[in-house]
Amino acid sequence: MAISAFVALVGFSRAFEHEWLRMYESAGTDIAVVEKSFLNTSLDESVGAKLRSLPVVAQAKPMIFNLMDLTPEVNALVFGWQADSYELDSLTLTSGRRFHDGQPEILLGDILAGNLNKKVGETLEIQGATFTVAGIYHGGTALEAGAVIMPLDQLQQLSSLQGKVAAFHVRLRPAPAGEAQEEYVKRAQAEIEAALPGLHAVPAAERAANNQLVVLAHAVAWGTSSIALIVGILGIVNTMAMSVFERTREIGILRALGWKRWSIMLLIQTEAAVLGLAGGLLGIGAGWGALRLLSTLPQTASIVSASVSSLHLLEALGIAILSGLVAGAIPAWRGAHLSPVEALRHD
Amino acid sequence: MTSPLLEVRRLCKSYDEGRIEALRGIDLSIAAGEYLAISGPSGSGKSTLLQLLGGLDTPTSGEVLFQNAALGATIDLDTYRARQVGFIFQSFYLLPTLRAIENVQVPMLAVNKDTRNRAQRAEALLRELGLEDRLNQYPNQLSAGERQRVAIARALANHPSILLADEPTGNLDSINSARIMEILTGIQKDRGMTLIVITHENEIANAAPRHIRIRDGRIES
Repeated sequence: MAISAFVALVGFSRAFEHEWLRMYESAGTDIAVVEKSFLNTSLDESVGAKLRSLPVVAQAKPMIFNLMDLTPEVNALVFGWQADSYELDSLTLTSGRRFHDGQPEILLGDILAGNLNKKVGETLEIQGATFTVAGIYHGGTALEAGAVIMPLDQLQQLSSLQGKVAAFHVRLRPAPAGEAQEEYVKRAQAEIEAALPGLHAVPAAERAANNQLVVLAHAVAWGTSSIALIVGILGIVNTMAMSVFERTREIGILRALGWKRWSIMLLIQTEAAVLGLAGGLLGIGAGWGALRLLSTLPQTASIVSASVSSLHLLEALGIAILSGLVAGAIPAWRGAHLSPVEALRHD
Repeated sequence: MTSPLLEVRRLCKSYDEGRIEALRGIDLSIAAGEYLAISGPSGSGKSTLLQLLGGLDTPTSGEVLFQNAALGATIDLDTYRARQVGFIFQSFYLLPTLRAIENVQVPMLAVNKDTRNRAQRAEALLRELGLEDRLNQYPNQLSAGERQRVAIARALANHPSILLADEPTGNLDSINSARIMEILTGIQKDRGMTLIVITHENEIANAAPRHIRIRDGRIES
């Protein structure tokens, strides 16, 4: 159970992070400018003008996002962008047109449109306001394909954040000849932060990992998995303690025949590791199945990708075996330190 | 004069924070190749003495010397049990999930004998004890006499110098008892091993060349 929770939840949160990164990459965002605070959602929109005046900045577009209930069954990420945002260029409109700033219009990702059964021209009510579906687009990531995009001003109004944005997404000018991209991005970060004290310029990859939703998803995933893991370890401790207790006499026989304490410990720990491995394999299967299921449910399809990296699976297997070893340590120590005479007397 | 294989000096063993005194100052010397029977009533301390001679337990005071080296101090008890001692118990103490041939190999795992040699040695011992048809049987598929013969084969696995048998015929009928004692004494003679048998059966005790009686933790005669 613990491993399936780890595979499903941590896999989900990592896939979620990966989708954010892919979204930034496909849009060509190099840097995100945010406030130096945990919940960095109240950056002043007026910062944009100063940001755009910097020589390294090609484009700087304000954005805001939120996770909203669209129907009782379907929730989705809602992005607020300006109509001329370069990020819209990376999306392919399959029907309709882009929205206009200041208008109650939205673009729907094709997966979300399918889930909501909405077509261009139809309306959708979001938090009491009615929006017209101006267009439907195909996004390169599950995050985009399951999202709503609306004019920035509309989402600000809906979220009572007039004049505030979550971040500015920045496209840098091409790096000068002879300067490595990585060095260039670092220099740009420093220049932006120097020009805008109190703000933080983070590379897209870091922003993908550190935005509030991803941080929350990671925290929930690791927190829940850790609790499940502790419960799982206690379960294995109980199993191994019972196993050692039931085989006290057998351990006594082995000790009487000259087996050393470390050999007994090795025997019990091997069993615990195999138990962990078996549980891990079952957990991986169950977790992966759960992730696939989540990726098909309308409530979660927009934010869950069914892909799990082999590194994540190896990590899960490693955690499972390690959990077995941790759980087996005390029973193994107790078993190894049984007095042969006492152990042989055990019924 | 040759030095004894095993020597016991002022051996005491008490339990329950000294309230129960199982052995009260035993002195004993056992030569290499000797056959010794130890008898006494229940609770006399004979099994405790065997446990201390076999390195299964440590004395409260006094010492057990093997070839003039103190068990537990100079000689590691695990190594001593693995290499020098073969135990035969009244209840056989075979591992129920292992076949006869695997049970015989268990002590060899303690001395890291390689797999092929282990299997060959185990098979040879079981054949020697007339169990060639029972190699792959589990303990619950064997008769009591056969189980004790598997236990004897296991005791011989690592070529020990001492065989310690605690009531080896206690769970056997008279025919099997006689056969087991015949096997044990035969091994002692043929291999020149030291055989120490704990028994409450006078017939077995009296048949041994040397016989000591224990009562209330002391050697009576």
